[in-house]
Amino acid sequence: MIVSSDKPVVFVVDDDPHIREALDGLIRSLQLNVKTFGTTEEFLNFKRPDTPGCIVLDVRLPGLNGLDFQRDLQKLNIDLPIIFISAHGDVPMSVRAIKAGAIEFLTKPFRHQDLVDAIHVGIERDRCHRQAMATISELQSRFVLLTARERQIMHKVVGGGPNKLIAAELKLSEFTVQVHRSHVMHKMKAKSLVDLVRMADRLQDCAKTG
Amino acid sequence: MRLQQAAGRTLLLPITTVALAAGIFAVDTITDSEIAFPAFYTAIVLLSVGFCKKTGVVFVGIGCIALTLLSDLLTVNSGVSEAGVINTAISFLAITTTTFLAIKIQSAEIVAVEAQSQLAHVVRVTALGELAATIAHEVSQPLTAAVINGNACLEWLAAHPPNLDEARRAIGLLVKDAHRASHVLGQVRALTKGSISEKGPLDINKTILATVILIDREIQKSQVSLQTQLSDDVPIVDGDRVQLQQVILNLLLNGIEAIKLVAAGPKDLIVSSAKSDSDDVLISVQDSGAGFALADLDRLFSAFYTTKPGGMGMGLAISRTIIENHRGRIWATPNSPRGAVFQFTLPIGQELIA
Repeated sequence: MIVSSDKPVVFVVDDDPHIREALDGLIRSLQLNVKTFGTTEEFLNFKRPDTPGCIVLDVRLPGLNGLDFQRDLQKLNIDLPIIFISAHGDVPMSVRAIKAGAIEFLTKPFRHQDLVDAIHVGIERDRCHRQAMATISELQSRFVLLTARERQIMHKVVGGGPNKLIAAELKLSEFTVQVHRSHVMHKMKAKSLVDLVRMADRLQDCAKTG
Repeated sequence: MRLQQAAGRTLLLPITTVALAAGIFAVDTITDSEIAFPAFYTAIVLLSVGFCKKTGVVFVGIGCIALTLLSDLLTVNSGVSEAGVINTAISFLAITTTTFLAIKIQSAEIVAVEAQSQLAHVVRVTALGELAATIAHEVSQPLTAAVINGNACLEWLAAHPPNLDEARRAIGLLVKDAHRASHVLGQVRALTKGSISEKGPLDINKTILATVILIDREIQKSQVSLQTQLSDDVPIVDGDRVQLQQVILNLLLNGIEAIKLVAAGPKDLIVSSAKSDSDDVLISVQDSGAGFALADLDRLFSAFYTTKPGGMGMGLAISRTIIENHRGRIWATPNSPRGAVFQFTLPIGQELIA
């Protein structure tokens, strides 16, 4: 089906064509886009649109365990939230899946509302994640524009140092520091000092985790 | 009455053994003590394994040694010679060693038989469990799809305005899913039907006796007294011998297990056959075991219902299916003063009525 860019997409990976067809109808009835796949290869070969989404994944897939696929996706940096569906209520398996970050582990035949809720949670989580990622990458692109001197000044400014002290430390005139500082504020599109400090924090967090 | 044949057969071995022992004793007494004839007593010990328990074999061994000493005393040429003493000592050693080994072999055999029957049980349970899991999965798939399609239909109908085309499509899929589920069950039913239809004219008394022989070992081990009260005027029925044997076996084993649960009191198990008032054949298995609570009466024949620790709850359910396939009835009543009575009827063979 045609995927419009504004609506979230739910990807279904299940080897049973009847289950795929049923999930396709159910998810469309929730006013969401859906794309179904019989194998994990089909899913990986599909060019995914840049919209929030989640994966509804059968644990028992031909030739591959759904849990192993979950790990493969993490290695490929595909962060889509996963909702597992399984024929058996296997406790150790569900614990492993949830620990690895799955939204939900549903046993067939599952309650319709549980799946609907999980899909909404998954999409919401992906939306937040995408927003956070977008913000970070925007900040990074702004930060890249700063000169070495400006980065140095920004570091000192968010460290709480007054212009006079920074000027003394860097052996510059107070006026020069002021000019650099206003360049930093302008290039980083920071509305206030507090705003700049927050941006610096985010960039630092991202550098730590990424 | 009809079991006397079996009893006669089991007496044959002890009688032969005693006769042989007497023969060895006679020859040993006649011959010189320098001839190590008592070594042949080892054969007696080995034969005794066939009908004696552990302690019995030990007594037979001691008895053989006693007989050897006795014949030494009775031997005509009773001068004590060095060779005679050595030969007697060798005989003693042979008898003792044989007795020891015989006991060892007997214990090993018992362990082996028990392990084998446990294994058979495990294999049966595992095979059934796997079959059940496969069927459950095959049925669960279309059921899951049906539930999803039903819910999708509800969503389409709840929309504003309702999307009737999509709702109709979802219902169409749901109907197909339901058909697939029932197709799976149809195949399972065909699977069970495959083993039926070996029916033919059958003497139920012969079937009962053939079954009783199968549990001979269980009866002895649990020290149950089994009585067969088979009426001679039982008509021929139309039935599957193997399946009916399975039912009788199941009822008898249940009876033995129920009796085992009761520590004291009589250990009676009675299997009887008779022509019933309604021109059916009535088979009944009566035990003096633990019995059942009246509250459980309507659940006794349900699948997966069991009161036994390792039970699967399939025995009586399968028995009922078999009897109903034979157009008969099966039911249970409490026994007086204790235990249970399981009874089933079988209609008289068709050709005989005509």
